[in-house]
Amino acid sequence: MQAVLAGDVEQYAVLVRRYQDRYARYAARMLGSVDAAEDAVQDALVRAYDQLARCRDPDNFAGWFFLILRNRCFAERRRDQRYAGLDGAPDVPAKENSEISLERAERARGIERALQNLTPEQREVFVLKHMEELSYEEIAGRIGTTVAALKMRMHRAYDRLRELLEEMR
Amino acid sequence: MSREFHPLVKQLLDGERTLSELPPELQAEGAEALRLLEAVDRRDVTFSSRLEARVMREVRQRVAARRNRANSDPVLWRWLTAPSVPPWVVGAVLAAAGIALVLGRPGSGNGPAMVAPATAVIPESVYVKFLLFAPAAKRVALAGTFNRWDPGTTPLVRLGDDGVWTVTLGLPVGQHQYAFVVDGQRWVVDPAAPAVDDGFGRKNSVVSVSAAQGRVL
Amino acid sequence: MPAALAGAVTVLLDSAAARKLPGAPLVDKALEGVAKGAPAERILVAVRTVFAQLDAAATVLGETGSASADAVEAGAFALAAGLAASDIAEIARIADRAHPAATALQVAGTLTALGVPRAETVALVRTTIRSGRPVGDLVSLPGQVQAAMAGGSPPAAAAAGLERAAAAHLAPRPRGKGKGQGNPHKP
Repeated sequence: MQAVLAGDVEQYAVLVRRYQDRYARYAARMLGSVDAAEDAVQDALVRAYDQLARCRDPDNFAGWFFLILRNRCFAERRRDQRYAGLDGAPDVPAKENSEISLERAERARGIERALQNLTPEQREVFVLKHMEELSYEEIAGRIGTTVAALKMRMHRAYDRLRELLEEMR
Repeated sequence: MSREFHPLVKQLLDGERTLSELPPELQAEGAEALRLLEAVDRRDVTFSSRLEARVMREVRQRVAARRNRANSDPVLWRWLTAPSVPPWVVGAVLAAAGIALVLGRPGSGNGPAMVAPATAVIPESVYVKFLLFAPAAKRVALAGTFNRWDPGTTPLVRLGDDGVWTVTLGLPVGQHQYAFVVDGQRWVVDPAAPAVDDGFGRKNSVVSVSAAQGRVL
Repeated sequence: MPAALAGAVTVLLDSAAARKLPGAPLVDKALEGVAKGAPAERILVAVRTVFAQLDAAATVLGETGSASADAVEAGAFALAAGLAASDIAEIARIADRAHPAATALQVAGTLTALGVPRAETVALVRTTIRSGRPVGDLVSLPGQVQAAMAGGSPPAAAAAGLERAAAAHLAPRPRGKGKGQGNPHKP
């Protein structure tokens, strides 16, 4: 990263390659679509480049880039909510894994749909804890909140998911 | 009728308890909760290498753009460099440079527009005169895309006693939107110009400036 | 500008940059809203509208290969003035090296802002360009329409009149019917 700061733009490709997939799953689950996630990660990587000079802690590019991507995901949700409720089932990741049984895929899609109907904050804590496998402490440190607040959000999300899944039956 | 998960089951979901620690009456609910978690799609998502190519293309463009501009923020470049010339400077500048004034009232019939652009002074600007008939006004200002919509920078002056207010500005070539501000609060379009919706319930006037012909509406 | 609004506008600016849309019109609209004392929510709606117009113009112009920043801004202006995306596309197709799309769209938007209906606007721009007249003639169309309106013509009639005059130069006309088919230029 110091090389990029020093002005060698091609060095940025190394950072891009290293980080482009790191938060891909997070972005895809937050936005409900792999295509939207690709756009968001692309935007965030370009924006991160623009702000490289302002990154005070070069050793923490990952955390800092995550925040840029996170802002982009939240902004995107706000914009979409203006237009319509979420209609139609969002796509699941394109990589089909034939080992996953049909029934399981069906349930996964149901949960995906339910997830998209949580608030972005609820969805985020669920994704970070149960997909990215972070602890509450780690999540709190990353997004700047307290463990207590996160648990409250998560517990509300659990109930809401249960409600939504029952409605879908 | 859906119920909420029992708090112990939520702790189970959080990974702070095991199923065997739950009392018998909560076993079924606990198992249901675990099934929910287990069905979550945790597959990796990866993007194609197209993404890297697109990011690098944009990043290279930014670097190239920065090299061509003194100001490193290309988006703000246009309005940062829009000139706004105070009226009392105009006369001296014109006299010194021997440059003709371009009249901004098409169809007024009184004399042709003199067309020499102000190339010697501000390379890409043309002087344009704005006029408003507002006999009852105490002050009139001009605000538009060329002065960041700040009426404070561009007051008009009274022309004689007939209630006509005027200002002449150097505007960059291109199209601009503007309006007059009367007595600091009333936004008024230019009756002599085309108007477009401003998105705030009013209209803006439009002026187009070409290097060859000055103000062309 | 209030911090929250600036933040929201910055997000839009980033999206604009990512899509290679010009960002200055977004900044302009935000500053305009602040100057006019509009509430932040309304300003954001207005800025998003500009974004949507720029995006729509860029999409249409991209397909015709004319998507310079100037052309996109001019296209967005034309949309704001009341032209449709199909009109923008057509004008971009008619534009040529001597009559660039950005100029043609600026003129078309201005004509519409004067009150000329869409069909007459597109026809007038089309005929003027196709008649091979210099770009200065294209650029002076709004002034001519306004002058005709000052003389009492409604905008549609003013534009139609100018279009007929330009069309008269498009193809040589035989001098009256039945007066011989000889080439009038031959001695």
